[in-house]
Amino acid sequence: MKLDTSGFESTAPLFGASSELRDGFSNAPSFDLPVTADFDEFQKEAKATLKHAKGTTTLAFIFKEGVMVAADSRASMGGYISSQSVKKIIEINPYMLGTMAGGAADCQFWHRNLGIKCRLHELANKRRISVTGASKLLANILYSYRGMGLSVGTMIAGWDETGPGLYYVDSEGGRLKGTRFSVGSGSPYAYGVLDSGYQFDMSVDEAAELARRAIYHATFRDAASGGVASVYYVGPNGWKKLSGDDVGELHYKYYPVMPSTVEQEMVEVAGQ
Amino acid sequence: MECVFGLVGNGFAILVADTSAVHSILVHKSNEDKIMVLDSHKLIAASGEPGDRVQFTEFIQKNVALYQFRNGIPLTTAAAANFTRGELATALRKNPYMVNILLAGYDKETGPSLYYIDYIASLHKVEKGSFGYGSYFSLSMMDRHYHSGMSLEEAIDLVDKCILEIRSRLVVAPPNFVIKIVDKDGAREYAWRESVKDTPAASA
Amino acid sequence: MSISEYNGSALVAMVGKNCFAIASDRRLGVQLQTIATDFQRIYKIHDRLLVGLAGLATDAQTLYQRLVFRHKLYQLREERDMKPETFASLVSALLYEKRFGPYFCQPVIAGLSDEDKPFICTMDSIGAKELAKDFVVAGTASESLYGACEAMFKPDMEPEELFETVSQALLASVDRDCLSGWGGHVYIVTPTEIKERILKGRMD
Repeated sequence: MKLDTSGFESTAPLFGASSELRDGFSNAPSFDLPVTADFDEFQKEAKATLKHAKGTTTLAFIFKEGVMVAADSRASMGGYISSQSVKKIIEINPYMLGTMAGGAADCQFWHRNLGIKCRLHELANKRRISVTGASKLLANILYSYRGMGLSVGTMIAGWDETGPGLYYVDSEGGRLKGTRFSVGSGSPYAYGVLDSGYQFDMSVDEAAELARRAIYHATFRDAASGGVASVYYVGPNGWKKLSGDDVGELHYKYYPVMPSTVEQEMVEVAGQ
Repeated sequence: MECVFGLVGNGFAILVADTSAVHSILVHKSNEDKIMVLDSHKLIAASGEPGDRVQFTEFIQKNVALYQFRNGIPLTTAAAANFTRGELATALRKNPYMVNILLAGYDKETGPSLYYIDYIASLHKVEKGSFGYGSYFSLSMMDRHYHSGMSLEEAIDLVDKCILEIRSRLVVAPPNFVIKIVDKDGAREYAWRESVKDTPAASA
Repeated sequence: MSISEYNGSALVAMVGKNCFAIASDRRLGVQLQTIATDFQRIYKIHDRLLVGLAGLATDAQTLYQRLVFRHKLYQLREERDMKPETFASLVSALLYEKRFGPYFCQPVIAGLSDEDKPFICTMDSIGAKELAKDFVVAGTASESLYGACEAMFKPDMEPEELFETVSQALLASVDRDCLSGWGGHVYIVTPTEIKERILKGRMD
């Protein structure tokens, strides 16, 4: 049994006439479905078996100079930390970044897939795809798989002909345009810092520090976030990685420990 | 949804609570005071099931008063917090009270203090604490802007920041909040932050 | 999430030459939310006996209060401190008392006998004693702690080396556990003194 995805495909082909090049790329990939009577139940069991990498803090915001994107780097399975060095900011092309929250595999695969589609668009139209277009492309694919267990919560941030662009896209089919987003289990904490510190007229340095600080505070309160706070900036000349700070060190940079609290006085045993 | 938080400043402690009484989709009342003045120098803010909240805080209040009558001296904040924890812990394995508590007080010897006691009776002394959905926003906000020895103006400014954040980011944000403080002059209501007045009566 | 993983904890005790070390993390959380980073899980019973209580914070506090109470009664009656072995039996008895509604706690008991011989032991939440000659671990980071201790333990370490080993094992282990960490608390007990140290750790 194979899922018939023909119904999902766009009736107006995106790229000119059909050619060898198109095959296997421009179509939404189709996946074999399991041979089972009860697909929903199978799906539930499969999800329980596969341990998803959940628990994340990612954020992005538009400001005067462009878009700032930041994320933590922890992957956890239940209480266990499976990695402290996950790349949650995915480089789609030199002008566009995606962030990763939810299933790691789902995010990685569909961002790579989006990268391919964006490049093909560039070749066919001799101009870079807009952030609006790219995010719509991803949203349409995710929408076509709605209810089948994909788990993606992503922000597409970039710079196109219209300037900076930022969209939130998720596997429930949602797509939102905005200037300030945070996604993942640590996002409420990050919003707390972000909202109170945000101004449109920030310099790149100020914006980077705000993003870093928001990620740090989220990792402090949210047990499922941690590792490294990476900060990316997307400007007119494409994205650039500004920093990757170990949160373990960041804490003591923000809150230096007074020597007296590090080591307490020895407690002498009475009467010995 | 319920938002209760508090912090300790220089010579005082502040408690803030939303004032919505909610049942499923219905808001019964938007000026329900959830911070009780426990005695002259103590405040107790509670969130949880409405019945339990009122019953339990009143029970604690009356027992603290009884102690003062019998012994002629009031309980310290630490003692009241430990008593509260004890009652919650005993009830936990019989018929639990579903209440989360922030207890603030001022003692001559120790100054202001704030105790965090959740419904399963974990007790901890904190500088800043929060319960409910509001905690996700107010905790990081307080982490970012709090420093020890805050003045009253700074603290109120921070509280207003938290309320603003909750109102703008929480789906089911309560409209009104009450702020109470306790310092050397005693426990008292400080201010209300209202964005809607209670349901107006239909004009005749 | 299991009830004994509700607050998050990491505990380890190790034996050295005429001394022992017991260490814990400092986090108090409610599932994934960190409430405080200065929580105490290790309690002093007397000058040569410490007990660490992993698991649910409220039960750890209740159990500790009951243990202190029973130990004080013993001191009054016998005019001496309890031997570690005796104390372990007391803990076990108190736990089994609640066989059908247990305290969700895994205790770690560490003490020095009158002959300066170190004693360490752990038990499950209903009091099944497990004695060990080298090290014992408990809490949400126990799997990582087993690995770290297994690799790093050497018999007959002197106090300073023991401190280093326990600290490294603890810090390495909590880095693989979401629910514990945020600093460490180490006690080194020798026949003449108790050294208490607070460890800086990753705060995420």
